[in-house]
Amino acid sequence: MLPRSTTSLFCVLFQALAAVSQGFGEFESVSVGAPINGDRFRIEGRCVVPGVKAQDWVSTARVLVEGEDHVGFLKTDGSFAVNDVPSGSYVVEIVSPAYKFEPVRVDITSKGKMRARMVNFIKTSEVVRLPYPLQMRSSGPPNYFNKRETWGWTDFLMNPMVMMMVLPLLIIVLLPKVVNTNDPEMRREMEQSMNMLNPNPELPDVSEFMTKLFSSKGSGKSGSSIKAGKSGQLKRR
Amino acid sequence: MAAAISCLIFLFVLVCLSAAVFEDQAGKFDWRQQYVGKVKFAYFDSQTQASRKLVVATEQNVIASLNSRNGDIFWRQVDKAGPEGHIDTVLVHGQDAIMVSGNGRLLRSWEITVGGLNWETVLDTGSFQCAGFVGVQDSVKYIAVLKKTAISLHYLSNGHQKWVENLPDSETVQYEVVYSRGSGLVYVLGVVPHSHLTITAYNLEDGEIMKQVSVESFWLESLKPGCAVVGGGVLVCADPASRSLYTLKLEEEHEQEMRQVLLQSLDVELSDGFQPRVLATQPSPARHPNAEFSLQLGPDHHILLQLGDDVITPLRDFQQALLVSFATTGEKTVAVVMSPKNETAYSINLFSADSGRRLLETSTTFNLDPNGGKPERLYVHAFLKKDDSVGYRVLVQTEDHALIFVQQPGRVLWIREEALAEVVTMEMVDLPLTGTQAELEGEFGKKADGLLGMVLKRLSSQLILLQSWTAHLWKMFCDARQPRSLVKNEVTIETLARDEFNLQKMMVMVTASGKLFGIESSFGTILWKHFLQKVQPSSSFKLVVQRTTAHFPHPPQCTLIIKDKDTGLSTLHVFNPIFGKRSHITPPSLGRPILQSLLLPLMDQDYAKVLLLIDNEYKVTAFPSAKRVLQQLQEMASLVFFYLVDADQGKLSGFRLRRDLTTELIWEVVIPTEVQRIVSVKGKRANEHVHSQGRVMGDRSVLYKYLNPNLLAVVTESSDSHPERSFVGMYLIDGVTGRIIHEAVQRKARGPVYFVHSENWVVYQYWNTKSRRNEFSVLELYEGTEQYNSTAFSSLDRPLTPQVLQQSYIFPSAISQLEATITEKGITSRHLLVGLPSGAILSLPKMFLDPRRPEVPSEQSREENLIPYAPEMPIRSEWFINYNQTVTRAKGIYTAPSGLESTCLVVAYGLDIYQTRVYPSKQFDVLNDDYDYMLISSVLFGLVFTTMINKRLAQVKLLNRAWR
Repeated sequence: MLPRSTTSLFCVLFQALAAVSQGFGEFESVSVGAPINGDRFRIEGRCVVPGVKAQDWVSTARVLVEGEDHVGFLKTDGSFAVNDVPSGSYVVEIVSPAYKFEPVRVDITSKGKMRARMVNFIKTSEVVRLPYPLQMRSSGPPNYFNKRETWGWTDFLMNPMVMMMVLPLLIIVLLPKVVNTNDPEMRREMEQSMNMLNPNPELPDVSEFMTKLFSSKGSGKSGSSIKAGKSGQLKRR
Repeated sequence: MAAAISCLIFLFVLVCLSAAVFEDQAGKFDWRQQYVGKVKFAYFDSQTQASRKLVVATEQNVIASLNSRNGDIFWRQVDKAGPEGHIDTVLVHGQDAIMVSGNGRLLRSWEITVGGLNWETVLDTGSFQCAGFVGVQDSVKYIAVLKKTAISLHYLSNGHQKWVENLPDSETVQYEVVYSRGSGLVYVLGVVPHSHLTITAYNLEDGEIMKQVSVESFWLESLKPGCAVVGGGVLVCADPASRSLYTLKLEEEHEQEMRQVLLQSLDVELSDGFQPRVLATQPSPARHPNAEFSLQLGPDHHILLQLGDDVITPLRDFQQALLVSFATTGEKTVAVVMSPKNETAYSINLFSADSGRRLLETSTTFNLDPNGGKPERLYVHAFLKKDDSVGYRVLVQTEDHALIFVQQPGRVLWIREEALAEVVTMEMVDLPLTGTQAELEGEFGKKADGLLGMVLKRLSSQLILLQSWTAHLWKMFCDARQPRSLVKNEVTIETLARDEFNLQKMMVMVTASGKLFGIESSFGTILWKHFLQKVQPSSSFKLVVQRTTAHFPHPPQCTLIIKDKDTGLSTLHVFNPIFGKRSHITPPSLGRPILQSLLLPLMDQDYAKVLLLIDNEYKVTAFPSAKRVLQQLQEMASLVFFYLVDADQGKLSGFRLRRDLTTELIWEVVIPTEVQRIVSVKGKRANEHVHSQGRVMGDRSVLYKYLNPNLLAVVTESSDSHPERSFVGMYLIDGVTGRIIHEAVQRKARGPVYFVHSENWVVYQYWNTKSRRNEFSVLELYEGTEQYNSTAFSSLDRPLTPQVLQQSYIFPSAISQLEATITEKGITSRHLLVGLPSGAILSLPKMFLDPRRPEVPSEQSREENLIPYAPEMPIRSEWFINYNQTVTRAKGIYTAPSGLESTCLVVAYGLDIYQTRVYPSKQFDVLNDDYDYMLISSVLFGLVFTTMINKRLAQVKLLNRAWR
């Protein structure tokens, strides 16, 4: 999955660079508010929902060009044409409550040359070419709902808190039974292994150090709190 | 780093934000009603006897197919709003519905069963006149489209153009009618007003002009609606001036004159000043029209006439006939006549068209709502029964846009309230208390009548409560025993009562047609409707709730201000929002146009809030205007300020009330109209509560919000529409002092601007013309780390200007509506509800629109739960509160608080109406509906059980030890 997506990304990038170099200046002069008397063009395409007949879903779908500025409808075979569009740059969307489609940006020059590219709102001048007439392919039904959290024994057992509690408990209960601590040989062996873990006995133990530190602080605090309590008591009197 | 941030965002989103619905909640407390709008064209699918399909096209630019059994929508296609999507005409043939739209710009063919397009063609420019089918040898093959200057012929199968011809002398002649009868010729009739009539015949095959005749007709102004082609190609015209009918044979070769037949010779009389109408019927475009036609002589007087060989004979005179229509089945053609019986009942009768005899057993009587409008149009579907008699179904359209489907014998099968496709404004009103609750309330309201009496009353009311509680328990028990599907929650106006969390409310909806609706919010049942007669179609409405249901025994009271756009004069309609009845209180008569209205928190002795109306002489009218109210007003006068907006002159002005109910101008802000124009002005919502005065920052200091209740947000757009120079302005102006608190300009931006003004923030959306994308911008106002006056806010005493923070974001879609959620106490976090053109309503957490979102997250920002800045706003389908229940062409989103702090009620209206509840911070104050009662109770029981066992075991152990 991962390698495939990265390669496709590379291809896309390469394409984009090429397209940017060849077709940039052409669209600089295109204005959005084209004159009404100017030529009107037609955006064409076809959309497909894999595995579903076009007749079953076209009645609920529409083609929206730049919001609701221009509206097109789907034919019974899934193709569409949006008529009467002046030159400019538009985001073409297929909206359907049942299926999800990616929007496409379509640029129309004042001479009626068409080009389709990926929608990129952040780098608006980046061109990643897409085929024209548009080929829209649904990525399936959108996910509208959150999953309910279901309760199961496995969830309960795999909970980190439960694991943290259960495992030490097991160790405490089971270990003394498995290992016979009364055996002197065993005890010696264990001490040795403990020394192995602590290679330099001269170094002060960090945990010990910390406990000392905190206990001293804590005692100080507790002392102060006691004092405070006393003063409080005094005040109350 | 970026990955880490995105991961962080993702986690954050997962943990903190949830606007989505669960799958099992779908349809549980939300509902949607779909509408099509006021019907302009309606056809019955008469392909097969069993077909139950209706094809309608409406003024909302919608073409739809309805199920005639129950009125449900099979499919619906919504074109662009406005004149560009305007449906000019619809013709139905077989499985194809041919539609001309956009003033003759587009010709479309729809497949009726599927609801998809067959084909679509662009027509040449030119204003549309008429369209008709053209048949060749008993089959329909072409469509003729007549425009002002040209006629074109298209193939029915694929829409391709066969030929197009320019019409001769189209500057002087107005061509209006196209007629054909399968003879290979297409006739185009045009008229030069008060001069002559021209008849042009085109060859069907190549569009060659075969014949051109002009006939003198100095009396004729227009062919519609007084003319029609009848019988074997005879044009019949009615002339009200000479009170006569004129006939003309179209297919005659030589020059001729129009023959005059005086109406008096037919023994009929025309009503004075009435434009007569001729109604003819042509069952098949490949054949002659019928020789019988009806002539309307007065508002409720029709006559059925027959055209024989040069003679017109009257067949039947219909006195008291409101509507007449023709229907054909097989070889039989019938005239359907609808006449009023009494105030509300109407009867329909069938008459044989050839003889004018009444058909037996075809009379139908049905009742209409007395609060509704009168019938306006009649669509009839006739069919042959097994015994060869004629049966029929009728679709009646009334002037309040309702569609009523009537079946024999007099059964109203369904009613569609199409007025609800154009909701203008709405309010939600709390439901009244139940009888028992009201009884309890009443106990406190009354004067005390002795100690004993009070005790007795208390006991009796407690008894009533106990009784109702046991009844409730019994009902619950009964319901639990029945399967779930059988339990029906019918809501009627009698059983209407407030629920424990005040989640169910009454939605009062005002529609453009002037019809008011009361809809109960939990199931969407229409409980009352009231049609306001004499409301101009271009009126604007404002609805205010003067008294809520909280003041038992006073009934709740709503006032609708209806302003006629042409004259500017206003009228008030005062009504009870729960029952829809007009109140007996007489509203003040308003002689001058009203400029502004405001609802004061002041109440009269009956707890009705005072409504102030300012007329164009800046005089104030108070409603209600009791003496006490006026006295109170005089005391308060110096505290009442209001503002007026004059968008034409770009002027905003502030006024103060004087003691004698006149006003004085105190400030004026002029925004020059040469540069920019005021688009919209919005204050804050009056029922909004802000819970926290400030925000605690990472370093434990508090940033206080600037909460000015008098703040106005004014949006302007540049008058220069060039993409390089256009801009959008946002002014924040104090409504009392006129001080401009803040001014923000978005260069290279264009409207339409949608914005929300609430608490201490303004969120607005605009179109960035340079980058061609929609952007959101948020302004937040803060007083700083110290509050100037923490007890009260006064606009007059604020020396410090607030600190303003602003941030902008890219929004990856156009929007159609914007609103913010609102809750009872303002503790719950806010979400923005964004209506998208696709019909989805996105619930966007306000957290994403926070100008303090840092570019580089720091320890402190993380502690404050600030999401790192990302330029693009996410749109996730899980955040669509209406999942697949889209609201097409959303015109408004209404939000109302409920009794639960966590819950906000949302109604989105446009072509559809959708009602739901949202929980911006999840349901923190009630148990979730998936709360696992089983688990908690089993754990509890288990624990109790093990304790008992353990106790027993411990006892045994102790005993054993004691024995040892």
